[in-house]
Amino acid sequence: MSYKPRQHKVLWFLRVIKSLLINQYALMMEYRAEIALWALSGILPLIMLGLWSQTNIQDLIELQGFNLKRYFLSAFVVRQFTVVWVIFSFEEDIVQGRLSPFLLQPVPLFWRYYTSHIAEQITRVPIVALMIMILSVVLPNSFWLPKFTELILTTFVIFLAFTVRFMIHWAFAMSCFWVERASSIERLLLIPYLFFSGLVAPIDTFPKEISQIAYLTPYPYLLSFPANLLSGHHVNIQLNIMILIFWALFLFLISTLAWKKGVKHFTAMGA
Amino acid sequence: MKSKFNKYINISMVLLRFWQTSLAIELEYQLNMLIELVSVLGNLFGSLFILSLFYKSGPLLGGWNFFEALIVLGIYMILEGITTSILAPNLSRIVNHVKNGTLDYVLLKPIDSQLWLSLRIISPWGLPSQLIGILLIIYSLVSIQVDLSLFNILIFFTCLFASSLILYSLWFLLASTSIWFVKVWNATEVLRSILVAGRYPMSAYPRGLRTIFTFLIPIAFLTTVPAEVIIGRVSNEYIAIILIIAAIFFAISRRFWKFALLHYTSASS
Amino acid sequence: MSMASISVNALTKNYSVSRKTPGIKGTLKHFLFRRTETITAVDEISFSIQPGEMVGFIGPNGAGKTTTLKMLCGLIHPTSGDVSVIGHKPHSLEPGFLKQITLVMGQKQQLLWDLPPLDSIKVNAAVYGISPRETNNRIDELASMLGLGNELNRPVRKLSLGERMKAELLAALLHRPSILFLDEPTLGLDVISQVRVREFLSSYNERYGATMLLSSHYMGDITSLCDRVILIHHGQIIHDGSLITLTEKLAPLKSVRLELNKPQTRESIGKYGLIEDYTDTFAQLLIPRKALTSSISNILRDLPVTDLEVSDPPIEELIRQLFESGENLSI
Repeated sequence: MSYKPRQHKVLWFLRVIKSLLINQYALMMEYRAEIALWALSGILPLIMLGLWSQTNIQDLIELQGFNLKRYFLSAFVVRQFTVVWVIFSFEEDIVQGRLSPFLLQPVPLFWRYYTSHIAEQITRVPIVALMIMILSVVLPNSFWLPKFTELILTTFVIFLAFTVRFMIHWAFAMSCFWVERASSIERLLLIPYLFFSGLVAPIDTFPKEISQIAYLTPYPYLLSFPANLLSGHHVNIQLNIMILIFWALFLFLISTLAWKKGVKHFTAMGA
Repeated sequence: MKSKFNKYINISMVLLRFWQTSLAIELEYQLNMLIELVSVLGNLFGSLFILSLFYKSGPLLGGWNFFEALIVLGIYMILEGITTSILAPNLSRIVNHVKNGTLDYVLLKPIDSQLWLSLRIISPWGLPSQLIGILLIIYSLVSIQVDLSLFNILIFFTCLFASSLILYSLWFLLASTSIWFVKVWNATEVLRSILVAGRYPMSAYPRGLRTIFTFLIPIAFLTTVPAEVIIGRVSNEYIAIILIIAAIFFAISRRFWKFALLHYTSASS
Repeated sequence: MSMASISVNALTKNYSVSRKTPGIKGTLKHFLFRRTETITAVDEISFSIQPGEMVGFIGPNGAGKTTTLKMLCGLIHPTSGDVSVIGHKPHSLEPGFLKQITLVMGQKQQLLWDLPPLDSIKVNAAVYGISPRETNNRIDELASMLGLGNELNRPVRKLSLGERMKAELLAALLHRPSILFLDEPTLGLDVISQVRVREFLSSYNERYGATMLLSSHYMGDITSLCDRVILIHHGQIIHDGSLITLTEKLAPLKSVRLELNKPQTRESIGKYGLIEDYTDTFAQLLIPRKALTSSISNILRDLPVTDLEVSDPPIEELIRQLFESGENLSI
């Protein structure tokens, strides 16, 4: 008896997600010029590639067969598809008074932002593809063709990494319920990401103690792991994926608790 | 002569008013101060850490020793602070003026519109970065035993002024394109992401990038050349070059703004 | 005529609009074969306004009102024709000119959202070079005329729409302009605030002899402030004169209400005019303006009238009919 309505609920939810995705994709297509510029502003890994290519980085890295160009080009791609701006959106929605109507809808607000981020990534695909094509002309002999299965696996891992990064920001976005201008936290979150994720330097170049600290945070798994995977470097895939899933679940738990408290606080304020 | 003097007095009164009001807004958000401090310190330690990694692989980075490279980083941090204090808060609002139609009010004020749009707001949150940048430069200059004479300090601030002017002109040029293209308001973010290259001496880059950063986007003149002048790697005549480049860029930005306004006033509705 | 504050001669503004069909295909086509067409927003209009006059500027959306106003204050370059506002060519935007005019747009605000109006007003004072003492005097004076008090110290975001508009007016008039361009200054305001704004404008005009050109969708603004109206449609002036003559032009018929003490047939009433409404002891007729006197004396002679009332249809209604009546209107 209880099976059928449950199944309906799942179907209903999938339909909601699907329509949200379609809707957000249409919206993002309107912003494609803007998104192209955002994509263009993700060139940091390429600048770093330029710097590292002039040094004796290979002496620092124990990893066998480490390929610098591949690493930073992969980091560039991973970075393109793990961009998150949910704190900013959430704060804007609160300030503009859009939160109350959203709260009245039966779908948790989380899904609205999550699908909007995914829709943005889909919009990015052709833009990034074009950028890679241009790069392959500018940097000949540095491109490689990953195996099809590797590509599928990497796509999945990038998606997982994006989800974890999204969850980190979503958890911090909850502070918008209590403080004004929480969006400056977004700037703060960028710092550990910048230095601990492997975006500006491969984590293998770090001194032992510091890389140990880095691996205690979720950041290396967000960029270094997928980038190494895409480069064809040797990484422990199962372990890294497990850790990503652990972080996703952990952050989901925390943000759900914070969300409940926040909504209570918000509605108690009579906003 | 007197009326010109009065005009400048008047403009500085206006600016003081502007800044008083904008500081009043910002200081309502005290939490920002803390976040900004943490973020600047985090950035500093992160940058120092990355720099130390470069020097682990060799004693020189593009021919620069560690302390010399620190001066480049210091200048970068000062410019970053200026960006946070003045450029970002003012110039990113131009597009809003265009979108909301309030640019009309700006144009109808008996004051230079470029001045109004560029200096209306000053944000205190760029100060920590500027301070730390200056400290970093002093520390490095002492470490490599550069004479901190009044003359050298004067040279330093002249260079800094020139490179700020170049930076401003680049930002303003991009920001004023929003008069045509409201949808690509974030073009300045692309500029910002490229300017990150200014954290390190230009000679540390491969030749292709070096050419781009010197001639296409003059990042070399923002941080590296001023650092070279202060250290004494190049002769003081280089100041003239930076100043000339700054003057050219500034003139272009003013011309371009006039041109953009011509378009605005002949096409807007 | 050389005394006029504003004089406009054969003023024209053409926009070239490029036509693009939506979608990637449209964009590509647009890129390859750019098709532009010229739209005439303002078509050779001429008028002049004397110092101290308050002129209503009316017309449907897209008639060219805002374009004309913006050409008069210098924000839009005319395609052809001459404009002179207090002896200046507006589009040079000379400081000497800008210090004598102001533009108020009901839907766009210049006050900073997060700050009290007073802060923005003081910035304006500095921009216009008004001394602090003089500034305070003017603020006091304008504030009392507007009925503003403590509101000037509260952040703009916490003010009601009416208070905000009053503060906007204060900021816009601090430099005591002699020419005011007002574009929908009462937009969205409640009735009480609308009346307050009108009263203020009228007393500002009296006190400083300022010239005002006012566009509004609320005919109440126009009827209570302006003796003269300029009606613009499809970029052309179709009426320039008093409001009364406009009404006469627009409404050649007057409406007559009759109450009768004995029931009458429809036919016996119908011979005096066009019946709009009828019950056996009540009727509403439309009678041509010219035949009004004779018709009424006939009605009074022939019918058992207990009450008779003659009125003009409301001006809002007339204007609405005019604009709905379509492309080719002539009066």
